[in-house]
Formats: sequence, C-alpha cells, structure tokens
Amino acid sequence: MNESVLKERESSICDRRESSRSISCERESVSGAVSQRACVYCGARVVLNPITDAYHIVHGPIGCASYTWDIRGSLTSGEDTFRNSFSTDLRETDIVFGGAKKLTAAIDELMEKAVPSPKLIFVFATCIVGVIGDDIEAVCRLAEKKYGIRVIPVKAPGFSGTKSQGYKLACNAIMNLIRPHAKQPKRFGVNILGDFNLAGEMWIIKGYLEKIGIPVISTITGDSSYKTLIQAPSAMLNIVQCAGSSAYLSELMETEFGIPSLRVSFFGIEDTTASLLRVADFFGKMEISENARKFAAEQTANIMPIIEKYKPHLEGKKAAIFVGGGFKAISLIRQFGELGMEAVVVGTQTGKKEDYEVMSSLVNSNAVILDDANPAELERFMTEKQADILVGGVKERPLAYKLGMAFCDHNHERKHPLAGFEGIENFVKEIHKSINSPVWKYVC
Amino acid sequence: MLNLNVNPCKMCMPMGAISALWGVKGCMPMLHGSQGCATYIRRHMSTHYSEPIDIASSSLTEEGTVFGGEANLLKGLKNMIELYNPEVIGVCTTCLAETIGEDVGAIVKKFYEQNSTVKVINVASPGYGGTQNEGWFVAIRSILEQMEPNKQPNGKINIITPMISPADTRWLKSFLKEMGIDYILLPDISDNLDGATEKHYERLKTDGTSITDIAAMAGAKLTIEFSEFTDEKNSPAEYLKETYGVPYVKLSLPSGASGMDKLISVLTEAGGAPSDEIKKARGRYIDAMIDSHKHSAQARVAVFGDPDFVVAMVWLCCENGALPVLAATGSISPKLKEMLANETEDCRKFHFAEEIRVLDDSDFSAIEKGCVELGANLLIGSSDGRRISRKLNIPLIRCAFPIHDYIGGQRTRILGFDGSLCILDQAANAMMEKTEGSFREELHEKFYKPQTAKKAADKTATHPCFGEQACQNARVHLPVAPKCNIQCNYCLRNYDCMNESRPGVTSKILSPAEALERYIKLKANMPSLTVVGIAGPGDALANFDKSAETFRLIREYDQGVTFCIATNGLLLPQYAQELKELDVSHVTVTMNAVDPSIGAKIYKYVQYMGKTYTGIEGAAILLANQLAGIKMLSEAGIMCKVNCVTLKGINDHHIYEVTQMAANLGAFMTNIMQHLPVKGSAFEGLERVTNKEIAVLREQCGANIKQMTHCRQCRSDAAGTLDRDVSIEFRESVPEKPGPEKFRRFAVATQTGAVVDMHFGQADEFYIYESDEKNARFVETRKVIKYCNGPQCENKEERWNSVIHAISDCEAVLAVRIGPTPEKRLKENGISAITTYERVETAVLQAAKEKRRNTHGTA
Repeated sequence: MNESVLKERESSICDRRESSRSISCERESVSGAVSQRACVYCGARVVLNPITDAYHIVHGPIGCASYTWDIRGSLTSGEDTFRNSFSTDLRETDIVFGGAKKLTAAIDELMEKAVPSPKLIFVFATCIVGVIGDDIEAVCRLAEKKYGIRVIPVKAPGFSGTKSQGYKLACNAIMNLIRPHAKQPKRFGVNILGDFNLAGEMWIIKGYLEKIGIPVISTITGDSSYKTLIQAPSAMLNIVQCAGSSAYLSELMETEFGIPSLRVSFFGIEDTTASLLRVADFFGKMEISENARKFAAEQTANIMPIIEKYKPHLEGKKAAIFVGGGFKAISLIRQFGELGMEAVVVGTQTGKKEDYEVMSSLVNSNAVILDDANPAELERFMTEKQADILVGGVKERPLAYKLGMAFCDHNHERKHPLAGFEGIENFVKEIHKSINSPVWKYVC
Repeated sequence: MLNLNVNPCKMCMPMGAISALWGVKGCMPMLHGSQGCATYIRRHMSTHYSEPIDIASSSLTEEGTVFGGEANLLKGLKNMIELYNPEVIGVCTTCLAETIGEDVGAIVKKFYEQNSTVKVINVASPGYGGTQNEGWFVAIRSILEQMEPNKQPNGKINIITPMISPADTRWLKSFLKEMGIDYILLPDISDNLDGATEKHYERLKTDGTSITDIAAMAGAKLTIEFSEFTDEKNSPAEYLKETYGVPYVKLSLPSGASGMDKLISVLTEAGGAPSDEIKKARGRYIDAMIDSHKHSAQARVAVFGDPDFVVAMVWLCCENGALPVLAATGSISPKLKEMLANETEDCRKFHFAEEIRVLDDSDFSAIEKGCVELGANLLIGSSDGRRISRKLNIPLIRCAFPIHDYIGGQRTRILGFDGSLCILDQAANAMMEKTEGSFREELHEKFYKPQTAKKAADKTATHPCFGEQACQNARVHLPVAPKCNIQCNYCLRNYDCMNESRPGVTSKILSPAEALERYIKLKANMPSLTVVGIAGPGDALANFDKSAETFRLIREYDQGVTFCIATNGLLLPQYAQELKELDVSHVTVTMNAVDPSIGAKIYKYVQYMGKTYTGIEGAAILLANQLAGIKMLSEAGIMCKVNCVTLKGINDHHIYEVTQMAANLGAFMTNIMQHLPVKGSAFEGLERVTNKEIAVLREQCGANIKQMTHCRQCRSDAAGTLDRDVSIEFRESVPEKPGPEKFRRFAVATQTGAVVDMHFGQADEFYIYESDEKNARFVETRKVIKYCNGPQCENKEERWNSVIHAISDCEAVLAVRIGPTPEKRLKENGISAITTYERVETAVLQAAKEKRRNTHGTA
C-alpha cells in the first residue's frame, strides 16, 4: 500500500481482491492518523441526549458542551429540555481546587430555578474531571438524596476508550435509571432500542408496529422521557435497531429483566420488510403476522414505482459508505443493491468483528472494507474505486465534494427521515439529486 | 445561572488555536489530547467553511493519561509526516494534556532536533484557559515566539487580525494592495478555508502565510493589530515590539465609516494612499447609510460574539442610528463594558434609551433574557443565536463563526465599506421585512378591529334575544320563508292565527319587496327597531334566495340594522359563508339532540339534496350539518344561539349534552325552551315540561354556556319588543316627538371645510353646523345651485329658491362676503348674514354667541 496508508493501519483495511482475512477493529485510534471518530464522552452523550425531559449537565470545561449542544437533532413530542446545553464551564481555578463544589452548586441552582423542575439529571464527567479527582458519584448520590429525584453520573472521560465505550456507559446509565423499576408485570408490547428519532424516524417505526398490532412500551432513547423509560422493564421484547449503541443494553435487559431481543433494521425495503415480519412472527399470533405481511406488501407496492422511476438513472453507479456503526453500513450495502448500485468502499467508525464479516459477504470481490478510516484513506480508495457518491456524516461531506463526488448525509444533521418506507423515497431522491446534478459537469 | 453555563456563547481555546494554524502555509495542526476534541472541532469547522478539515489527534488513551502522552505524541507526529508531508506542524494542547502536566515544549523540541525538516510549533491551549478568541491570539503569538527571526528591515507592515472570515481576509488583502501597502498578514486563511475545486485535491493546504514571511515580521516597520482586547501576555504586536522593536498600532476591526477612516488614516501615515476606487467605495457607503437611516433607526440590536467583533458591530449600529440594546461576549472581558460605555452614549441619548446592556463571560440564556427585557428586534452574531431567533421570532444576521444552519459561512462579510454594507443592507431589510409583513395586520388590528368588535358587541347588546338588557329594543320577524326541509314532530306550520303566538305561525307570507315595505313602515314608527330577523314560518335557509334578497334590500335602505335568522341548521354548512357576506351577525339554530338515536324520535323526516331520509339516518345527517354549521358560524365570527326544545321523555335527559356540545362548537348561548304542545302535531299529546324543570335545566347547563332566560317563543311575523308584539297594530301612527331646541344652526360657505373662505354667491354647497355656544358640531353638507353665476347669470329666482330651501333651518349664513341684495333677501327669510375669515368652528361659536345676545337684546 502507498503513502496514504500508515503501516499500523494496514490491518484495519481489507481489500477484497487481495484477501478475505478478518479485519482488525474495536481498538483505539492510531495517533496522528486523523481518525473520524469522536470520543467516549461523545458516545455516551449521543445515546442519552434524546431523553427529552432530562437535564444533561456536562461537567468540565466548556468545549465538550459547546460542540455537542443539540447535536442530534432528535425530535420530541414532549419537553425540549434536552435541546439546551448545560455545563459547569470549569475554569483554571476549578482545575486547581477541584470542580465538585461547583457541580453541587450547579445542581442546587437547577433545582431552585429550572423550569420545568428536573426529574432526571445526567452528569457527564469529561476528560479532566477524572484527572482532577472530582467524586461525581458522591455528588450525584447526595443530590438524589436531597431532592428525591434521579441524578445519574456518567463517567465518560474522552480518553478512556473509544466511542463504543461511551455507548456502554450510556447503556449502564439507562440501566441505572430503570433498574429500580424492574419488578413490573409484563405487558404485551415491545421496546424499541437504538433509534434516536432523527427526523422522526422513531415515530415512523412506532407507527408501523402499532399499525400491525404491536404496542410500543418504551422508546430508547428517541423521544423518550423519564416516565416512558421506567416502563421499559414491562415489555415482552426489545427490538434493537442500532446494535452498536444498544446491543449491550439489550443484553443487560435480557439478563436482568428476562426480556429477549431481536435485531432489526428499518433502512431499505428488504431490511424494513424482514424486520417487520421478524417482530410480528415473534409473538406467534396469526393476526399480527398477517397484518405485517399485508402492510409490508402494500408499502412495497407503493414504493416500487418510485424506485423503478429512479433506478435507470442510478443503476451501475458506485457508492462509498462511511458511517458510524456496522448495522447502518450493512443496511446501506443492501439498499444500494436494491437500486442497482454497487458499494465499492465500506467503512465504519466503530463496527464490530461480526459486522465486518457480514459486510464482506455482501460486497463484491473488488470492494474495500475499512475500520476507523481517515481522510487520506477515504480519498485514496474512493478515487481508486471510482466511487460516484459517498454516504457519510458532515465531516466527510466536504472531502467528497472536493473530490468531485456526490454525497448523502446519513448522520445527525439531516432533516428528513431515511428509515422506513417513507425514508426509502427520501433516500432515492437524495441520491439522484446529488449524483445526477448538473454541477458535476463543470468540475474538470 | 451562576454556577451553570446554559447554552454557551463560546467555544474553547483549541478551536481558535487550530483556526489560526490553518492560515499558515503547509501547516498540519494536531491536538494533543483525546480523540473527540479533534473530531468536534473538525465537525464545527467543516460545517461552517464547507471545506475538508483534517486535524490530527494524538488520541490519548488511559495509559497515556496516567503515564504521560509523549509516546503517543511522537508517534502521531511521525504518522502525520508520513500522511501529509507538511512543512509545519502546529501542536495544540487540550484540557487533558495541560491537566496531566505534559511538557509539550520539551517533547516537541526533542522531536524537532531529530526531524529538522519540519518546523514544529507548540501552542499551550487548555480548553479551560479561555475561548476560541484567546486561543487564536495565543497561537499567533506562539508562532512568532517559536520562529527563527529575520530582522533585516523590509519596510513591510505586519497585519494581525482576530478570527475573521476567508472572504473578509481576501478583502483585507486587496484593500491593502489598493492602498499601496506592502504587508505580511498572519494568519492568512483566505484560501485554505475557502478553497477552489481543482483537478487534483491537495490534502495539505498550500496557501497561507509562509514561514519565510513569518520570519520577516521581525524586520517590519509597523504592526497593525486589529484587536483592542489583546494584552501583553497574548498580543502578537506587543511581542514584536518588545522583542524586535517593531512599533505597533491597535485598531478596532475596520467596519463602518468610523472604523475604515481610522484605518485609512493609519495606512496613509504609513506611506499608503487611498485610491479613487476606495474614495468612491466610501461615498457609496455613506450614500447607503443615508438611504437606510430611517430603517436602521428602527433596529434594536443584540450583538454577540468575540469582543472585537462585538465592538465593530456595535459601532456599525451606532453610526447608522441603530440602537445596540445588548452587546454580549462569551469571553471574560471586563474591558468590553468600559470601552462601549463612552462610545455608545450618543446613540443611547439619540434613542432616549435607558440602557445599553453589555455582558461579558455570558451565555445564551443571559442573552435571551436581555433580548426579552430590552425588546431586541434584530440579532447579529453566529448561528448559535438561531434558537433565540426562532423562539422570540427575531431575525438573525449570521456573520460570525460558527454558522451551521446556513451555507456560506466562509463568505460572510463585515469588513470594509462593502462588508459593512452587507450588514447594513441585511439589517435595513430585516426591518423593512418586519414592517412590510406586519403593518397591514397591525393597523387593522389596532384601529379597525376594535370598531367592528364594538359594532358586533353593540349588535349583540341591542339584540333583544341575545342581550338580556336589550328588552326595550324592538325586532321584526319578516315571514318570507315558507318552506321547511325537515318535519319536527312538535311543529305545525299554519297561517292566519292572529291570536296564536308561537314559532311557525304567520298571518301572511311576504315577498322580499313587501318585506322591505313592512320594514320601512315599522322603522318609521318604531325608532327602537334594531333587529330584522327571518324566522320562518319554515326554515330561513330552505328559502335562501328569498331570505338573501330580503336582507339585501333592507341593507340598501338601512346600513345599521342587525340581521338575524333562525334555522334548523341543515343547510348551514352550505350557506354559512354567504350569511357572513350578507352581514347576518346573529343566527339561532334549533338543535334538539346531539345523538342521532334521540334525534330520530324528534324528526319525522329530513329532506336533503333531493332525497328524504327518516329515522336515525335522517337525524344523523341533520346533526352532522348542525355541528359543522355551528362551528363554521363561530369561526366566521357570527354569534350563534342554540335553541333546544325540551321534550318530556324524549330529550329532557339529554339537554346537558346538547348545551355542552354547543359550547364546544363556539356557540354564544343556548335557549332551553319549553315545549308548547300544538294541536295537530305529532307531539300534541306529549306532557309539558314544567317551568320549574326548565329553570333547573337552565341552571345546570349554565355551567356549560350562557343561558337565555327571557324567551317568549315569538311568531314568525312578530314585530316590536319581546313583551309587546305590535305586528298586528303597526299601522297605528306614532306621533312625532318634538325635540327641544337648544342648538342654533348655521350655514357656512367654505371650500376647504377649515376656514370660512367663500363668497356667499359662489358657494355650491354649505357646511351646516349647529352650536350651543360651547361646541360647534358639524351636521352635514347641503348642495345648492350657485347663487351667483357670473355677470350674465340668469334664472336667479330658481337658484335663490334652491339656496333658501337648503338653509331655511339656519339662523345665519357665514361667508367671506355677501352682496347687499342677497343679504336683504336672507333677512326677509329670518336668516342673518355674517362675514368673517375665521376658522369655521370659531366663526360658528362666535355667531352663536352673537345670536343669543341679539335675541336677548330684542327681547
């Protein structure tokens, strides 16, 4: 491999032409390699942030709060407390003398002044909090006692692992929240895990399930609230959309509450249909299964003409995929397949070994698979494989554009749903609008 | 809040440090800390600039944190060189690196000794040490401190800016060139953060200030630093002065005429000269200031951002006559208040404003509070203000970093004459947009609506059925609507029952023309007649053409009378809009049930769209239309009364629900009526509900909606007050009542209506005034044939008669002049002539007083 790939990174890249060996993943980023990943704190923050009525206090200097303020664009049907940024904004003196006092004072002030009055507070400890030795667990414990509300510490110093570690911390925090409510009678219904209601996607999925006759008890964490979350232990099934962030939570809930789980994906026709049927069949009720089949067939029939309309303009085009987690990458490979397109570069920030195995099996033999890729690698492989479009997040967008390549945003900042049958239409249209835009003719 | 930053108006030091490094040629920045810092800053910058932003991270791990990050940092530097082959590497620290006490300087020095081809600069930028603004200057200062200087005098001018946009940087460069200034700009982000699309994408940024140029800054003749907030610790200019003796000037950012004039004068002193093009640009800016000044004066601006940006924008506001109500920065900057206090004083006085609030170390919760308290109507700053903008509906001019919800952050302009114009135009347009978008509605709301609302309220207050205090007012029911489209089991429509007073009864059906005639006659005899209603004997809407025609005719005759109808509601959805257009302000709908199974017992049939429905089906159709219709009425602002006939054993247990529904639909009141069994009707044998029972029902339902308690169940041709129906006797003549004469009338010859300014003979109309000596009240104008038509005027007699007829009730004529003949003839008719040039009202008052004296005199 040439100058665009560091030696240390070679094992995290798998060119399907050269080998089918398994990829090296789930490890820390290489220093100086310009990873696209964020940090432990970020992982915890993005999973918990959609809890609408929680006060998310970022304990640390201002940067971490400033850069994650309202980061997800999750929609809410209730409070919008979560869209504010609360930070203890630690300064030099706090670093020297400790910030625990300031945190306590901040919680006191919130309890005194904040409207609506807090029922649930998460306290995120960032990098230096651990280093300066603030005992945030003690602060939270005391506050819980004093005010009779839940104050949950999330010790997420950025350096303590990868973003995935942050997901785990968030899952632990959720367990911390719902564990006291473990003893509830079971009800017919499911929890949806790992959807964050970007552009209302949780509402779409929830709508589907309710339509085929399956009540949704708790959504984790898209459009959730303290009240809805604590009902989660009563569900009969967890369905897990974003496995990267929530598989761990589903495992904990299975062990502690005996709730089995199913992995689902609501991206693309195949995945959406398969997921609906899988969930429906789980309950072994004829009526629900039939509803699901009928519903999926109807929706597919509706969407097919749209796909057929755009397909001739997209067939044969090549796509590069670089997204956060493995589940989304896998869905996207299939979704491009449905459009007659081919995924030539596939990468994720935090995919797991199993994810990469699935990806390998889905792509053609000339594709490249990357874990925790950097801009140099993306540039090289997208150019080499002659990708027509990149699917990724906002950081990757300008790179694609500089390389004269179309782009589809599959991250926090989009304002239209890409999940469900409704999302398929948006996806196809977006791909078309970018890939077949006249602007590319002017690029030399 | 004191202990909590709520919605930050700042970012951290590394953000500024990295941004500054982006303006150094061939430089790759690196953050020594955990992975997230680099990623967040990359995301923030790439969204704002729409450019790929590569920032390396030393990706500190748990181990690095505990045992020191040297190994990570060294490996990172090596990897970066391999990937990017940079000329310069800028290593910025983070909270974490500083807190664990990393000696980055030593590590970097060690590395540099082994790899002398790459210049490595280290910047101490702990996140808690300040905001991006402080980080920016610390980075520039570190670059200068760590360069190998070239002290050879070069006659150039060093230019240092705070964080400005690439477009403003490009402008600054071309402006300096235009002024004939040889300069070194540090940093120069103009191309690196706003690059062109090129055939081969260059990963490493090759524009920006070169290391050679940076070295030469030690030999410059002057430094201009566009910041008034740097101090001896972080000011690059002060460092160059102290170390190499380069003198410096600190200026505010060159926005507006005042900012630009200062800069031009400094540059002129330094050997430059403003070109004609610059002078023209200045002229255009002043011209635009004048064009916009009244719009600018409407603006109450909240400015937020870095201190230098805030100062520049506040100045721009002040010189244009906009009021900067709030100036806020997230930086700790007590100096800001002090600086702005004097400079904004004139502006504050100009606006008679009590306060110009200056906040430092601020956050958006404080800014939001300030916007509300100080009535801001325009925001200037970064797109982080968008939430306030949405929440408070205040437009936001996005012109500072970061801009995440708009495109073009790299192209925003605030500097120079044309940059200032960008802001000025946006501000003026925001004000114009606001006015244009709201003035029609606001003025309508303020001046028109209260009148119509009062009229509507008056109509309700004077309607004998709707207003309880209006019993003395009379109404007439004009029986123009014979047909009905439903059959109620309690109803029997017949005529000629002079002695029977109940709904459905009339002596005669009138045509619309006859109805008008009856109205005219009644009105003449009954001045208290304020309401015309159509209440059958069938359904007013089932005979809509007749009803509408009647209303049209009467409205032509009388603009003020209130129109009402009574209907079963079946056709309401069809005609609600037309009723509004006919100016029907009050409608009574008889709705006896809101449950079709109950309705089925009350209605024998319902005829709708050419078909006859019975039973539940019929009742359901009727009900659906009643519900939709009442809602439409209330939405159209028509007062709706719901009548409900209480039928023993049929709907008497259901009245509460009916009234509840009526209230929900927006009805004004309900009238729970006693059933009066009519012989020959289906319910003739139904037992009556007692008065007492009705009273109880009304009391219960009063919880839902206002109750009518004074219903008299009128005939379809009733006329008069509720208690005194004169429909049969209205032919009796009512004697005219003589009014006491306390006002004297005057005819005024005036053209303008303000001053007595016409000759008597020239007037073709007279303004008639009356006066009791205290007030002069305009009555009306009266047309006459001009008395004098020039020298050859004929038919004088005819004209004279026209005049004398028109003003016969007046005691005097007020004119500028009057001929002796007409004066004499007027006198013969008991009208005196007064000549005057006074204001009309004054003249009338004087005349009235004079008249009294004369009358008393003669007496």
